[in-house]
Amino acid sequence: MWERVRDWLAERRQKLDLFDETLVARQDNPLYLMGPMLYYFWLITVVTGVILMLWYEPTTTGAYSSIERIQNDIGRLAVTFLGHPVTLGGLVRGLHKYGADALITVIFLRIYRMYFLGEYKKPGELSWILAITGLILGMISGITGYLLIWNQRAFWAAKVVLTVPVYFDQIPVLGPMKFGSMIAFLFLGGPAVGQATITRFYAIHFGVSLVLLILVEVMFQRTRRKRINMSLFPLTLFLIMLIVISIILPAESGRRADPTRTPLPILSDWYFLALYQYVKYTPPLWAGLGPGLLIGFGMLVPFLDRSKGRGPLQRPFFTVVGALAVIYFLAFTALILFNIAVIERDPLIIMNITLVVLVLGLLWELRYRRRLRKAALSGIRPPVRVSAHG
Amino acid sequence: MERRKFLKLLTTVPALAATAALVSPLLRFLKPNVERFKITAPTALDAAHGEPIPVATLKEVSNPWDYKYFVFTQKYPQYTPEGFKAANVPGVVIRLPTKITLYDPTTGQGPLGWARDIGKTPKVSESDIIVFSRICPHLGCIYNFVPNYKEVTAGYGGYAPPPPRQHALMACPCHLSIYDPADPQLPGRVLSGPAPRPPRTFLYELQGENIIATDVEPGGIA
Ligand code: HEM
Ligand code: FES
Repeated sequence: MWERVRDWLAERRQKLDLFDETLVARQDNPLYLMGPMLYYFWLITVVTGVILMLWYEPTTTGAYSSIERIQNDIGRLAVTFLGHPVTLGGLVRGLHKYGADALITVIFLRIYRMYFLGEYKKPGELSWILAITGLILGMISGITGYLLIWNQRAFWAAKVVLTVPVYFDQIPVLGPMKFGSMIAFLFLGGPAVGQATITRFYAIHFGVSLVLLILVEVMFQRTRRKRINMSLFPLTLFLIMLIVISIILPAESGRRADPTRTPLPILSDWYFLALYQYVKYTPPLWAGLGPGLLIGFGMLVPFLDRSKGRGPLQRPFFTVVGALAVIYFLAFTALILFNIAVIERDPLIIMNITLVVLVLGLLWELRYRRRLRKAALSGIRPPVRVSAHG
Repeated sequence: MERRKFLKLLTTVPALAATAALVSPLLRFLKPNVERFKITAPTALDAAHGEPIPVATLKEVSNPWDYKYFVFTQKYPQYTPEGFKAANVPGVVIRLPTKITLYDPTTGQGPLGWARDIGKTPKVSESDIIVFSRICPHLGCIYNFVPNYKEVTAGYGGYAPPPPRQHALMACPCHLSIYDPADPQLPGRVLSGPAPRPPRTFLYELQGENIIATDVEPGGIA
């Protein structure tokens, strides 16, 4: 048993492709630049994050003012843009914020690529699982970093997210042990959002990145692979793009957190918006279980999908599931941005659409398989499994 | 048993035991008020303490649907070197159009029945004054008292109350839970949205002209 697991892991590790570093031949296709860009944007957030730490003050009373000062005063240049001063502090902050956004975007795109092109199939299982883990850790970094500004949005985002685990106490058998509240209290540093929360979020926020970076480097040290398998031109271009965005659209500070007033509607970083809309529709226990199941499904996909082909049309059901996920992500995000939610009406519609689409996907799959079998009977060999990327 | 297997087992067991022995101290490092050898049920020592404060005078809420916001301060144990944090629990005092039963002294039931869990007895058992905590029982946002139900329909997800409930309602901006403060059986009843229960309530007493909030129902994240 142990030996088998070890062999399985060893084989996957040899083929591990964290930053698409083995796909050298694919440099002309932007879809395959997602890996190196992931590493690149990650480095940018880490470097700018460390610079921000020079001026950031992790206290309930000082955080917001320190951010405002970083944005408006620190390293003020002799230029203004549309009336607001351009500062090195603001630039670094913009690079951090938009670098983090770019990082998350790139992970998302890369995961979708891996999904729709069947790259998670043998021997890509481990790469896929690590990609999902990376997304989760990135999102954790995102939400913990977001609180650091200590503005209204950030405060309520943190409070709402960390009240969700409290409902795990309702799960039969395990629930009464109150491990749900325990999770919330451990992260919050108490039963309320306060100083301890900032301290802990601060530690988690940069700890996740720093520890991961070290682990990744230790691994790469032995393989001598390239992390950023890209030419200098796109690298410079992306950096300039980030700088330009940081000047044109300075990172927002919002309003200082006020624990006695909740703004309407509450929003969060863009990658949490779909989740926020979903939370409106479900009983609170499912607000936590739903995403948990989604992550579980994500992790297990390589083992659930036993189909032979890698192309999206060669495994219709999983393609439909993936497409549905993309569409819901976009649709829910749009709904919350326009503040549309009719609690009485929407969940029923959504359930019905989901059900119908899944059944259609299943039918498609069955038809596809029947055709394959027929073709096999009439002597045409079914396509053999191709290795990833030709 | 094979010798190799046996030796392996011999080394695994103490290793596992050592790990298990570390769980509780480790938890205590993260959460200093966990009791020794316990890894569950953290809430008792996390209980909050608040001082009674006057939240409104009777004159301020003399007519039906008059309301007043207030802020009740509670101290929570917090895992910082200082140890405590004062957190605000916003609340609302509401004058209802009719009297409702808040607490039935014979059965101990009613909206304020939770008082027994903290070892208290409500001073007021029937009244048209009710005091809610404005921390939403869903995920902890601060909900609003909305005097005009049409505003609820317009701004909080299109919920249109049936005629008997077309009066002031309470609505949460976060996930659009809507509550009826005047429901005679279950004040604060959830009319719409994901909230699992009515908002938590305050114990209060009357001292002359003043309404004094003394305790808030425990639970949730402040
Ligand atoms: C995966 C990596 C990271 C992500 C996704 C991330 C994300 C974020 C986000 C979204 C913010 C809020 C920015 C805003 O809206 O203004 C933030 C702030 C901050 N982050 Fe990070 N971050 C990452 C890594 C780091 C690292 C490695 C450090 C330090 C070593 C760091 C230090 C900070 C500091 C000091 C702030 C507060 C300043 C500010 O808000 O501008 N971050 N981070
Ligand atoms: S927190 Fe009030 S409805 Fe979710």
